[in-house]
Amino acid sequence: MRTAAKLSELERDALTELVNIGVSRAASSLRKMVGREVLLSVPAIEIVSQREAVTLIGEREEGELIAVRQDLSGAFTGRALLIFPQATSLELVRAVVGEELSAAEAAAMEEEALAETGNIILNGCLGTMANMLRQTLTMTLPEVFHGKGGGFFLPDGDPEPDGLVLFLYINFSVLGRDIRGYIAMLLDMPSLLTLKLLVQQFIDSVMSDDADAV
Amino acid sequence: MGGSTTFGESEPPAAVEERLRNILSASGGAAAWEWHMGGKRILGDSGFATLYGIAPEEALSGISPGRFFAIIHPQDRDRMRLAMGGMLRGSEVLSKQFRIISPDGTVRWLQARARAHNAQRSGQGPEQSDRFSGVLLDITEQKRLEEQLRIAQTAGGVGTFEHVDGFGTATVSGQFCALLGMHAATDLPVRTINALVCAGDPPLIDLAARPELGLATHAELRIMRADTQEIRWLMRRGEYIRDADTSGVRFSGVIYDITDAKRVESQLRVLNETLELRVEERTRERDRIWRVSQDLLGVSDAHGVWMSINPAWTTLLGWAESEIIGNTSEWLAHEEDREATRLEVARLAAGHKTLKFENRLRRRDGGYCWLSWTAVPEDGMLYSVARDISAEKEAAAALAKTQEQLRQSHKMEAVGQLTGGIAHDFNNLLTGISGSLEMLQARLAQRRLQDADRYIAAAQSASKRAAALTHRLLAFSRRQTLEPKSTDVNRLVASMDELVRRTMGPPVQVEVVTAVGLWTTLVDPNQLENALLNLCINARDAMPDGGRLIIETANRWLEEHAAHQRELPAGPYVTLSVTDNGTGMSPSVAAKAFDPFFTTKPIGQGTGLGLSMIYGFARQSGGQVRIYSEVGLGTTICLYLPRHLGSADTLDDGSSAREAPRLGKGETILVVDDEPEIRVLVAEMLEDLGYAAIEASDGRDALVVLQSTVPIDLLITDVGLTGGLNGRQVADAGRALRPELKVLFMTGYAENAVLSQGHLEPGMHVLTKPFSLDALANRVQLLVNGRPT
Repeated sequence: MRTAAKLSELERDALTELVNIGVSRAASSLRKMVGREVLLSVPAIEIVSQREAVTLIGEREEGELIAVRQDLSGAFTGRALLIFPQATSLELVRAVVGEELSAAEAAAMEEEALAETGNIILNGCLGTMANMLRQTLTMTLPEVFHGKGGGFFLPDGDPEPDGLVLFLYINFSVLGRDIRGYIAMLLDMPSLLTLKLLVQQFIDSVMSDDADAV
Repeated sequence: MGGSTTFGESEPPAAVEERLRNILSASGGAAAWEWHMGGKRILGDSGFATLYGIAPEEALSGISPGRFFAIIHPQDRDRMRLAMGGMLRGSEVLSKQFRIISPDGTVRWLQARARAHNAQRSGQGPEQSDRFSGVLLDITEQKRLEEQLRIAQTAGGVGTFEHVDGFGTATVSGQFCALLGMHAATDLPVRTINALVCAGDPPLIDLAARPELGLATHAELRIMRADTQEIRWLMRRGEYIRDADTSGVRFSGVIYDITDAKRVESQLRVLNETLELRVEERTRERDRIWRVSQDLLGVSDAHGVWMSINPAWTTLLGWAESEIIGNTSEWLAHEEDREATRLEVARLAAGHKTLKFENRLRRRDGGYCWLSWTAVPEDGMLYSVARDISAEKEAAAALAKTQEQLRQSHKMEAVGQLTGGIAHDFNNLLTGISGSLEMLQARLAQRRLQDADRYIAAAQSASKRAAALTHRLLAFSRRQTLEPKSTDVNRLVASMDELVRRTMGPPVQVEVVTAVGLWTTLVDPNQLENALLNLCINARDAMPDGGRLIIETANRWLEEHAAHQRELPAGPYVTLSVTDNGTGMSPSVAAKAFDPFFTTKPIGQGTGLGLSMIYGFARQSGGQVRIYSEVGLGTTICLYLPRHLGSADTLDDGSSAREAPRLGKGETILVVDDEPEIRVLVAEMLEDLGYAAIEASDGRDALVVLQSTVPIDLLITDVGLTGGLNGRQVADAGRALRPELKVLFMTGYAENAVLSQGHLEPGMHVLTKPFSLDALANRVQLLVNGRPT
């Protein structure tokens, strides 16, 4: 089953583009919400085991992290996380809600702002993909967690986690500020197979684009 | 396709060109392009036209997506179609690197960047782009450099990093991550990187550093690899330079693994630190051996001058170290060993090894110590070990002495046997002589002279046999006086032929096989005749019922091996062999055949002296005797005699005068003998023969006569004289006074030393006692008158 979830290089490129379409939708929503230039892009994705995800995030992020979490059901079953370094989260909040707020005000609405931002991004990303599959996707309300990263991927004290994680790097560009973060999707095996189906559909669709154009 | 004028619907071309130019100038890229989704056209500027090898006007009016993708390298084409597909389906940002195949056929790397343009910024309805635009940058050169850098980093195991002051992350290379045991990444938090550095070691990137620009630093540090937890040594080298983008300070550097070098370095250090200790330890071990060794150990220079010796020298020899050092051991060496010792040191100095060289060194107490040396030369020094073998030497000497005593006792036993045997034979003969003389006396008293001759003859016969017996004894004791002559053995055998055949009798068939061209040999022919006759008689006795007897001569050349077996020097020999086909001998009997008095004959038939006498004769003549025998088949006895280079002398037929005619003409003969009976008897005999005899009872009296002016024609002297001078000395003194003096020695046995090993100077002769009047007359005649009778 695990190997069935493995993606070819072309499939990985296709999935990256799919995610990019999703985050572009999210950026568009953010733009409308905050009325500023917001760009989101996903330069690379990886599919790794839960343990590897722990190591990856541990290597790359030394300090405290902040995560927005939503559980999924419908087209995909699992859990989606938007992760930022804690040090940059306030900056993100400022970028989203505006410079005019005082530091105290910004801090007071940090969690709320993050939850909303996370909701827009994750919803844009996964919702777009569910739409493409013409399936519904139900997402729980966003929750904000603070932690050291590893805990986000090893929920409920599962001693032998063997699930796979779709690990995405995400770049935010808000008013010329670049903020990086991660989107992690813990998906069950049927969801991964669904994802694979979506990827294949996308490839087929793109490859037929220029059939009429050439 | 390619309808260049069909696009642009609401926009004039000039406006499009204007916009593209702006994009281009803004981005500083090589080519600008714009994708119009609705019309499915891609418009480009002149740079774009150049890339595609089309006219600028055609680029401006746009090309189809199929055309757009056509120049993209096949391996990158699907990827780029996916990326463009993403843009067409809602992606807003594009950033891709890909290859194209230029119209001229070269492959070039391009970087495409694009952003979607929102049709309605005002925001009614869902946002939908109608086009996206961007630049195409030629990054071929950059790619090549990146690739070279990547190869260099991978091959050299060098990881690169860059950190701009104030930032929490550093830009790193794949190799950098690999060296730290981390997943590949392009950016890593500095704290993550530094967290891997072992406590106490300098950080990889020092956030607290406030360095001057241009400062180059390096540090060695240990990290714990993130994947294996292995501790590795890294070298970090870096430079602080001005960052162009931020105008801050950029720390740009490399890391590489130096664990192996460190390990070697540390091993070297440990080795160095322990070297002294180990040398000391080993030196102590060597010292212990040096000190406790019972053998003499020593180091000397190439001349054998001792530089260093161990305490065993003092223990064994009693000399203090200071007395030995600085000298060779020559002053200690036994006089007889000095030369050999000098030669051995020279041999060593020439590069040879010494093994079991033995010499004697003097002890302080004056005694000598036997030493066996092993030594090697090395680097101009001589390293020697000597073992005390005095005890072994003493044991060997004691053994030799015991053996000598044993031999002596064997000899005494043999002498006892001999004396008994001789006493028996002599008593018989004496009985014959004295009986005859008694009978003669009785007949003289009775005046019955007609029987006198018979008794005289009987007495003479008995005394002749007694003389023969003593002669044989002397031959056995190898003290007979040989008068070797150059002899033709063939001629000798021929002269014996008749005698042998008569002795053998009719039942024995005698064959003589003589070699043609037989060499001559130097032997006493009379003794050889005796030997041959003896061998023939033995052979006859071995063939009681008759048989064949073969006498054979031959030339034999004995090679080293054969000669050694026969205890002879290698060289040419004449052989004389006697073969019978009689009863033969068992090996044990053959082995004892040459022992004196060993005989297979019944008591009374022989003294057993025959073969041993032949053996003595052969050995004294420089030859050998060998027996080849098998029981029932027969026996061959072979005499080896050395070849003599010279012609054979005329064989003296040895016949003696039966009468005593007066031979002398008054010549004067000096007779010296301390036995008055013999002296008087000889003098009377000589006077009977017509010579004038002067008697002297010892050497001094004789010298007085010799010193006088009395003419002396011949000196006859006994060899063994009492009174200080022996016969030989008298003769020599006489020769000194009268060089032409002729000398005849009389001797009961030949004292070899006195008579020069049995060989005499010209003009000196020997007469063996007892002798007959005839023999004396013959020899005197020969000497005085120069010819035999």
